[in-house]
Amino acid sequence: MTPNMFFLLTSLLFSIGLVGLVSRRNLFVVYMSVELMLSSINLLLATLSKILGDASGSVIALLMIAVIAAEAALFLAMIIHLYRAKKSVDSDSFTALKGVKVHD
Amino acid sequence: MISFIVLLPFLSAALMSVVYLSNTNTKHYAFYTTVGIGAPVLSTLLSFMTGYELLSGSDTVRSTLFEWVNIGDFNISVAFMADRLSVVMLSFITLIGTLIHIYAAGYMKDDPAYGKFFSYFNLFMGSMLLLVLADNPIMMFIGWELVGLCSYLLIGFYHKESANISAANKAFILNRIGDFGFIMGISLLFVSLEGSGFTFETIETNIHLIDHDTLSLIGLLLFVGAMGKSAQIPLYVWLPDAMAGPTPVSALIHAATMVTAGVYMVARYSFLYVEIPDIGLFIASIGAGSALFAAIIASYQNDIKKILAYSTMSQLGYMFIAVGLGAYGSGIFHVFTHAFFKALLFMGAGAVIIALHHEQNIFKMGGLKRELKLVYITMFIATLAISGIPPFAGFFSKDAILVAAFASEHYFIWGVGSLTAMLTAFYMFRLLFTVFHAEASEIKKLHALPKSMTYPLVFLAFGSATAGFLGLNAAYGGSSWINNFLALPESELHLAHSTEYMLGALNVLLAFLGMGLAYKMFAKNMREVQADTFMKKLVINKFYIDEIYAFFALKPLLVLSRFIANVIDPKIFDGFINLSVLGYTRAAFLFAKLQNSKVRYYALYILAGISAISYYMLFKLGVLS
Amino acid sequence: MLEISIFFILAAFMLGGSIAMITNKQTLFSAFGFLVAMIGLAGMFALLESRFLALAQIMVSVGAVVVLSMLTILTINAKEENLPKEPHKYKWIFFTSVLVLPFTFLLYKTLTLLPQSFSTMETITSKVVGKALFSEWVLPFEIISILLLSAMVGAIVIARKEIVKKEEHS
Repeated sequence: MTPNMFFLLTSLLFSIGLVGLVSRRNLFVVYMSVELMLSSINLLLATLSKILGDASGSVIALLMIAVIAAEAALFLAMIIHLYRAKKSVDSDSFTALKGVKVHD
Repeated sequence: MISFIVLLPFLSAALMSVVYLSNTNTKHYAFYTTVGIGAPVLSTLLSFMTGYELLSGSDTVRSTLFEWVNIGDFNISVAFMADRLSVVMLSFITLIGTLIHIYAAGYMKDDPAYGKFFSYFNLFMGSMLLLVLADNPIMMFIGWELVGLCSYLLIGFYHKESANISAANKAFILNRIGDFGFIMGISLLFVSLEGSGFTFETIETNIHLIDHDTLSLIGLLLFVGAMGKSAQIPLYVWLPDAMAGPTPVSALIHAATMVTAGVYMVARYSFLYVEIPDIGLFIASIGAGSALFAAIIASYQNDIKKILAYSTMSQLGYMFIAVGLGAYGSGIFHVFTHAFFKALLFMGAGAVIIALHHEQNIFKMGGLKRELKLVYITMFIATLAISGIPPFAGFFSKDAILVAAFASEHYFIWGVGSLTAMLTAFYMFRLLFTVFHAEASEIKKLHALPKSMTYPLVFLAFGSATAGFLGLNAAYGGSSWINNFLALPESELHLAHSTEYMLGALNVLLAFLGMGLAYKMFAKNMREVQADTFMKKLVINKFYIDEIYAFFALKPLLVLSRFIANVIDPKIFDGFINLSVLGYTRAAFLFAKLQNSKVRYYALYILAGISAISYYMLFKLGVLS
Repeated sequence: MLEISIFFILAAFMLGGSIAMITNKQTLFSAFGFLVAMIGLAGMFALLESRFLALAQIMVSVGAVVVLSMLTILTINAKEENLPKEPHKYKWIFFTSVLVLPFTFLLYKTLTLLPQSFSTMETITSKVVGKALFSEWVLPFEIISILLLSAMVGAIVIARKEIVKKEEHS
């Protein structure tokens, strides 16, 4: 069990999270992809902690989890708010930035 | 001082044009007349003063105004030079010019654009004087171009008729074709001199630096310019059409001064042309051909001014024969005498035209010798002069030319010249007899002629009668005063005096032959020539040269122009520009579509950027192994 | 040997769960996939001798975050036809994964520059973590508490009922 395997796993998870973030329209999936990305970094921190023999990595990961929790609360509150406004969890339905008229 | 000779007409032209343009309705008749005639009068006085200076033995008078161009080897200053050749040209240009200005004041009296006319006329005087007094080829070329411009402006003076505008265009365009050759000649001259100064003096001293072939090419190209300006074959077709302008214009520009600019140019470059006698022979041949050709056509023309136009072309041919064969002094002498009697002829023709209420067909005139006595007598003198009958001026100058041709053993040219002399006498007396002698088909009431139109005629008649004595050569008891004064290179030819007398007598005989033939055919009852036989048809239609030019030169040009204007310009150039504009706007639309207000897409763009950077870091920067 | 097989099993859970999460149409199934991934992650933490972290992961990330998101999903209760129609979902996923590939590669290659061997250490128990938290990491700990407080207040403010908001706007 070499660290490389963990690093590979970390990269893969991060990429999967990134793909989900960009390609899905469902806001929940976007949220969960963000969580996934953050979690993959947690995994990296734990691996580093093991490599260096230091507990600091673990502690940082712990603090990260707290941040994740906070962020989860806010994200979900926002989804509820947006759902109340537009009755949809489709990220493409929020087009308030649309102001560019394409002339012919 | 000599700079004023050139500047005064320009200044008066500018002044009159400003006054004219500020109000075209009020006719400041007195103002325009005083300013318009005053400037040439002053120039005449100054020219005579300069001439007197040179006569009393002083050297060339120079005057530099300012330095104009100074780029490396190319130094041109606006400077004037009055040497003997310039002074001879100056004397008759300013004198006859002033007389014609006075004549024009009477001729154009009723014209509403009187001020414009005198403005243009003075502009022309200034340009011609600039041409003659120029110190270097570039200044001369500026004068050359300016006289072409004034010719255009004045031919198209009655601009309400489109035929006159076409004639003006024709003159300018053919002039331009000649100028193309002229510019090439000057440029080639400059390049061959390799930076050793570019005034006439320095060119003369450095002429030996140029090899013979280049010199021949330069001489030929310069003569192309003269062909256009002085209406020789093949660039002569503008001269008959130029008669559409007012008669004073024809008198001054197309008889006495502008058309002689070509001859002046060859005489000015005499130091170049003596080195290339082959080109000189070519020039003389063109001159001889033009002389004969024009004389043949003139014999069958009906319009009084066109006859005189072809006569000018014919006499110019004589001048070119002279300068082509190396007799530069004789050529200039013929320019000098020709100015007198040709201006007189044109002015007289103008008087006849005005008197008969703008009738120009000679077969509709007749019997005017009773009513227009003064005009008749002066024109009679001029006709005798042009026919080469002694002791009038034309005899001595024409004789000098033919003697030079005979003595240099170009007998063919001599023969053509003599034949042309007979034809000259024939058609000129034809003109005189039909206008003044023969019975008119209808009697018309004549328009009165103002005195300003008749008095200059007298002066010029006096000149036509006596000017010849300035150039009497040794055989006739004179001392070739004008040739000696001019001090141009002359071919060293000597004929025995007896041969000269024989040749002179032959000339006179031929002239009388022509006169007699004209008398027999036209003096009693004149009939307009009908185009019945093929030869007559050919000649009356001027050998169809205009039509030939139109077919071979104009038509392909027009087809090409239409093709370019209708096909290449809109489709290719415009199409190309439209394509780029269209492509730009389409690309802009595409880029605008990227901003579709959906944040997910923006995240995608960020991802694309990250991907590109990662790709670059991985593979181009070699982050990996 | 045991470790490696456990690792692979857990890795399969994580990867499978996350891929299921991003490709499912129904929201709840994505949430389940996410749940599986988080549990797998907790197992990974345990494998890496961070015992306390594994517990915290289960308690917070699974027990709080995933449950909360499922709660929200069920609260929204979108019917199947109201879910976002994503006609080109797989095309997008494919295209994005192609784009993301160099980045992944870069990330992995950079990470391999780190030291390549695990050091033997004793498990990071709560005792160790507690000691570190209150000695070296006390400041981040306190800041985190403030952060949690503000997040709580913020969530309440954002998710308030609209009636109150409308009154404010008029």
